[in-house]
Amino acid sequence: MVAFVSVTGLQKKFGNDLAIDGVNFEIEEGKLLVLLGPSGCGKTTTLRCVGGLEQPDRGKIEIDGEVVTDCERSLFLLPEARGMGMVPQSYAIWPHLSVHENVAFPLKMRRLGRSEIGNRVKEALDVVRLGGFGDRNATDLSGGQQQRVALARAIVGRPKVLLFDEPLSNLDAKLREEMRDLLKDIQREINITAIYVTHDQAEAMALGDELIVMNEGRVEQRGSARSLYNEPASTFVANFIGVANFFSGAAIADNSGDKDSALVRLDQQGSPSKTVRVRRGASGGSGEVIVLVRPEWVTIHSEASFSSDNLIEGTVSRSQFLGDHTELLVTTAFAPVRVWAEGMAEFEVGATVHLLVESKKCVALPAT
Amino acid sequence: MKAGIKLAGDHFSNRVRMEEWAYWAVVALISVAILYPVSMSINAAFVEDGKLSLGGFGRILDHPSVGKEIVTTIIFAIGATFGASLIGVPLAWINARTDVPARRLLEILCVIPLFISAFVGAMAWRMLLVPRAGMITKALTGWGWPPELLPDIYSLTSMIVIQSIFYSPFMYLYAVASLRQMDPSLEEAARIHGASHWQTLLRVTLAVNAPALLSGMVLVFVFTVGTLEIPMALGVPGGNYVLATRIWTLMSDYPQDLTMAASLGILAIMIAGTGIWLQSAILGNRKFTTVTGKGYRAKRIKLGKLRWVAFGIVFAYVMIAVILPLIVLALVGLQKYWAGTFKIELFTWDNFRSVMFEYDVTRRAIINSLLACSIAATIAVFFSTVLSQTRSRRGEAMMGLLVLLPIAIPGAVFGMMVLFAFVRTPIYNTLNIIIFAYVIGYFYLAYRTIYSVRLSIHGELEQTSRIHGASWWNSTRLIILPLLKPGIYSAWLMTFVILVREFSSVMFLYRNGTEVMSVVFFLLMERHSARLAAFMIIQTVLLLIVMAIFQRVSYRRSETIAV
Repeated sequence: MVAFVSVTGLQKKFGNDLAIDGVNFEIEEGKLLVLLGPSGCGKTTTLRCVGGLEQPDRGKIEIDGEVVTDCERSLFLLPEARGMGMVPQSYAIWPHLSVHENVAFPLKMRRLGRSEIGNRVKEALDVVRLGGFGDRNATDLSGGQQQRVALARAIVGRPKVLLFDEPLSNLDAKLREEMRDLLKDIQREINITAIYVTHDQAEAMALGDELIVMNEGRVEQRGSARSLYNEPASTFVANFIGVANFFSGAAIADNSGDKDSALVRLDQQGSPSKTVRVRRGASGGSGEVIVLVRPEWVTIHSEASFSSDNLIEGTVSRSQFLGDHTELLVTTAFAPVRVWAEGMAEFEVGATVHLLVESKKCVALPAT
Repeated sequence: MKAGIKLAGDHFSNRVRMEEWAYWAVVALISVAILYPVSMSINAAFVEDGKLSLGGFGRILDHPSVGKEIVTTIIFAIGATFGASLIGVPLAWINARTDVPARRLLEILCVIPLFISAFVGAMAWRMLLVPRAGMITKALTGWGWPPELLPDIYSLTSMIVIQSIFYSPFMYLYAVASLRQMDPSLEEAARIHGASHWQTLLRVTLAVNAPALLSGMVLVFVFTVGTLEIPMALGVPGGNYVLATRIWTLMSDYPQDLTMAASLGILAIMIAGTGIWLQSAILGNRKFTTVTGKGYRAKRIKLGKLRWVAFGIVFAYVMIAVILPLIVLALVGLQKYWAGTFKIELFTWDNFRSVMFEYDVTRRAIINSLLACSIAATIAVFFSTVLSQTRSRRGEAMMGLLVLLPIAIPGAVFGMMVLFAFVRTPIYNTLNIIIFAYVIGYFYLAYRTIYSVRLSIHGELEQTSRIHGASWWNSTRLIILPLLKPGIYSAWLMTFVILVREFSSVMFLYRNGTEVMSVVFFLLMERHSARLAAFMIIQTVLLLIVMAIFQRVSYRRSETIAV
């Protein structure tokens, strides 16, 4: 892989607080990388360091083979010299300029000719489906339209890297989905390298070629949406992406010879002990483990009509009908479990149910 | 490519140094300009004939009347502080929180006294109430009202009342701003939990807005300790001296006693400082957050029939503070001489003509005022704009304190300090010394206006321009300055207006040839009341025009910066 953007050992302090602490990643050309995490995890600071809006205390950033920040050599390229585009959280549409003037700004800064500016602004406005809006006053536009002006402004200069700082967080749910799809289409269309910061896991999974989950200034895990969901490296990631139930236990000696699965004895109050067979995570094959059980990785049976090690008995303690599924909270001897019952199935509070923890799906993670 | 990288690195560090350097240069300049006069007058108070001495303070103790004058100053300042609150806060509440009729008009009328100098107001009320020749005196006694039952315009009580009336706009402005930002659910919660209207008003509304009200009160208190306006216009004729008038007398009458004046100045600062200390002592660490960033549209209280009473109260204030004074000044200005009533056979335009075109002192004063005030406003606005560009938190906090320092120095004392600072320099006999006092004394006004507009410009507006290729200078020129423009205009106009009516400090700084308009009021005071009235009308009209422009500009500002 040839890294188009590479970030090494990035660290930034605000006063005594470490905002980011040793962040490393690379992005291939034309790919969209999502930085995902809760507020205060350092994702925006990382983005701002790449853009040159923040000067890190340590680390090195290279873009397209050029060093833009190298703290060791006290090198710091000004933001305007980095050839970036950005869609900030507040859109930051300049209220004293028209739509055309807003979008033309990056080109004017490069002293391009009037006719070329005109053509490229028109092209950019067409890309964001805002053709013919050039003469409008930027502040007269709706939120979604302002968002698109910001996007047109960010791509008009054909930047090396496009930065998105939670661009959809100010839109309402419906518009957000629409804009999300539009963003993805446009990013593919113009094949641009992009970094996208968000705290919304659905947005992250839909948009990102690759995701980085950050926590307390560090990279928690990096991977595709699928791999983060199916095999999170930690309970933090498991919790942050999707809904997670955890059973704690210990991996025990396994004679089956199956390298992909693990036998886990679950911790519980009282007896008898219970052993389940689950997938073996990257490093969850021995010692203390935590078994991740996603709601849809469980099938619910009202009666134990067959026998399996992975069948766990429990009592329904809450039942909420949510339209396409019913969410049940089931109390078991090990931990309360949130599960989803499909369609029309009805379960009353207090009913006894048997949960089949699917061994090909549920996974053993290292205990932390 | 290697060379390009190196160049880029240098490019950055130079620019940062340039910005920072410009910022700290302005900070240093302003610090010196503020601290130098202060140190010079401390020097004047404690050094006599080249030796360290407490002689100035000794002569204060020996003086036959200064002790009484200190007491008068304190009574005057405390009285005016509470008086201004009793007027300004109810007016603010009526305008901000009730459904009083004609609210927009009343809101504008209530701040007009801020633009009419208190000296003008005091002289107008003198013309209304002076024994025998006063317009009201004459009318009432003509109807058989016993003269001894008329208020004595030269009494300490009258000084306090007039001072309260003309400084209440400060209380009004602080209270209105705070009341508008208050979350109305605080009041609703009190009502739901059993408090009556009046209990809510006292225990919630007033209590929650206490920090803002106390800030306004401290401001009025410090202003009153240092004002020469009312003490000159009403106090001296009635024999009521305060510290400010005593300092002025010590500085201007022969034999001068500069050391004692400087010592009294320190005493006045201590009185003002006590007020400031009291405010922080009362507030303690209680920080009330009434602003949560949400735009509250406070529900107005429906007064029913009482709203006409409320209207009457506001209207009465406007009558006393604006309309009556302007009427009497206009009438007096249009008479050959003033005999207590307007006589059509004495009608003349001569006074207006002579103060504008013939009488050289007034003609000169108009030009001096326009020149000095616009130069000073421009300097203050320019430096404020430069300072508002900083991103250093430490710098902001420091500047915030520094520019506030002159507010804590009572006006007359400030004038004296500037005089001490430049008395043996070439600028002493020029308009420059007045411009200097204007800039430093009112710098905070321009700074706070521009700074608050700067804060309202979202940081991403600037950062986005940098990301998209604008250098620091281009970003400032193309993004920040255009957005700051309405703030710059209103800061300039506001500063200009306040400077034109400034009286207390320039009284120490003018010389023959450098008189400004407010000084000429004083010069004409006992000599020619008809010309004085005409001249006051001219200044007031000038200020009202500027204020009208200001209203338009600040109205437009709220439209453009809706980010």
